[in-house]
Order: sequence, then C-alpha cells, then structure tokens
Amino acid sequence: MTWQSFFDVSTMEHRHLLFAYATVLVIQGGYCAWIAWNWVHTKGSRR
Amino acid sequence: MEQRTPSLRNVAWLGFGIAVAVLVVGFRQAIFLTPADAAQGNVGRIFYYHVPSATMGLVFPYINFLAALAYLYWRRRNPLRALAADALALASAEVTVVFVSIGLITGMLWGRVAWGIWWAWDARLTTYLLLWLLYVSYLLLRRFSSTGESHTLSAVLSIFAAVDVPIVYMSIRWWRTQHPAPVFGGAPGSGMDKSMLPAFFWNLAGWAIWGIFILMFRFALERRRQIAEQEAALQAIEASLEIPQ
Repeated sequence: MTWQSFFDVSTMEHRHLLFAYATVLVIQGGYCAWIAWNWVHTKGSRR
Repeated sequence: MEQRTPSLRNVAWLGFGIAVAVLVVGFRQAIFLTPADAAQGNVGRIFYYHVPSATMGLVFPYINFLAALAYLYWRRRNPLRALAADALALASAEVTVVFVSIGLITGMLWGRVAWGIWWAWDARLTTYLLLWLLYVSYLLLRRFSSTGESHTLSAVLSIFAAVDVPIVYMSIRWWRTQHPAPVFGGAPGSGMDKSMLPAFFWNLAGWAIWGIFILMFRFALERRRQIAEQEAALQAIEASLEIPQ
C-alpha cells in the first residue's frame, strides 16, 4: 500500500480503512489535548 | 517536591516520545510493509488498530477495579491515600472509555465492509457495548451525583463493572456467533500469519505505552486539581479565622 492508495476514498474498503485510522488518531490526540489544556488551566501547588 | 517536578516532567516527555516513535513504526508496518490480507484485502489492516485498542479496553478496567478497592479500603483509614486511589480510578475509567469507544467504532467500520452490516447483537459486541455503557455511567455518576458519597458509590459500581471484563473476553470462546473466533489461544490451528506479526506487535506495544502515558498524565491532572481544591479550601478556612481589625 502507498500513501496515495491510503488516502484513496473511491471504494468503501479504502474509505473505511482511512476513517478507522483517522478516528483512532483523532480520539486519542483529542483526549491528550484535552488533558494538556486542563493541565495548563489548573493551578499547580504553591508549596 | 520542587526537585521532583522537573524529573517527572522529563519522564512524561520520554514516555510520550517513546509511545509516538513506536506508534509511527507500527503505522508504517501496518499500512506499508505488511501485505494485504488474502481474504479481506486492505480493510483487514483495521485489525492492527482495532485489536490493540480493544485489548487495552479490557486491561484498564482492572486498574480501575484495583484503584476502587484501594479507595474503599483507605477512605476511613487514610483519606489522603484514598484521594490518590480515587484519582487513579477516575483516570483509568476515562482511558477505558477512550479505548472501548475506539474498539467499537473501528469494529463497526470493519464490519460494514466485511459483513455488510454496521452492527450485530452478537455476544462479543453486546458485552463490549455493555462494558462501554458501564464505564460511561461510572463517569456520569461521578460528574452529576450530588449525594456527597459519589466517590464511594462509583467505587462500588466499578467493582460490578469489572465483572463484565472476563465475560467480554470469554464471549467468543463460550458462544460462536458473528464476531471472528479468537486469533490467539483459540481452537487448534488458530493464530496469525507470520507476515502479520510485526505490525500487530508494534501496534500492541505502541498503544500499550500510549495507554500508560495517557493514564499517568490524566492521573497527574486529577491530583493537581485535588491539591488545588484542598489549598483553596484551606485558604477559605484561614480567611474565615482572621480577626477583623
């Protein structure tokens, strides 16, 4: 498989493969970003 | 405490770097180096992300279960330790929901192509959906309960939720329905073609390291929030004790 065929959305088979990988990366990346955002906006201990 | 923070930060960055590096290798193996499955074609490559995520979705509930037990044990004996256990329970429940959600979505995307349907009320799929519902209800209980005992109630719920994990694992052994039979430890002759092993194990290792990293990051955030809450409460008490001039 190549990058070109990975991003090929002409068939359901290719579309669903791309959606599956994109979903995993978006959910995991989004969750990590949400934690990082909250980390920055939560005051650390002053002691 | 001030000396520990930079080294913990370095460990966190190291964990993040290792996880991303292993996942990049896993992605390359899964998409570019492993040949397409003879029976399924390219859609079979979903397997390399689906199975590791679904597996992690069966591991993190046990961390939640152990943390819930620790919370129940320490809640009267050592409240500060109980608070740390509670933070770990919350973090592991969230990570469970993330991995189980991915397992469900990638499974449905694969099923639509392989079976022609998005969903079947198959034993594995149904028990796995039940697992997702249990941990979502755990998080909702923590978020919206106003009884003052929500930590204790959620700890008890997590013990019941953990019972579903072995049922999910055994469902494809006990009942033969729509979901594919177990690849490892299944019937004689089960297993994986040698050409698929590197992609599978790189992704399994990558998502396991990522899972541990994200669990520790979420745990650290919850501890930070708890400590900030304690300091704010302490400040309010100190302010109320000040004698007006």
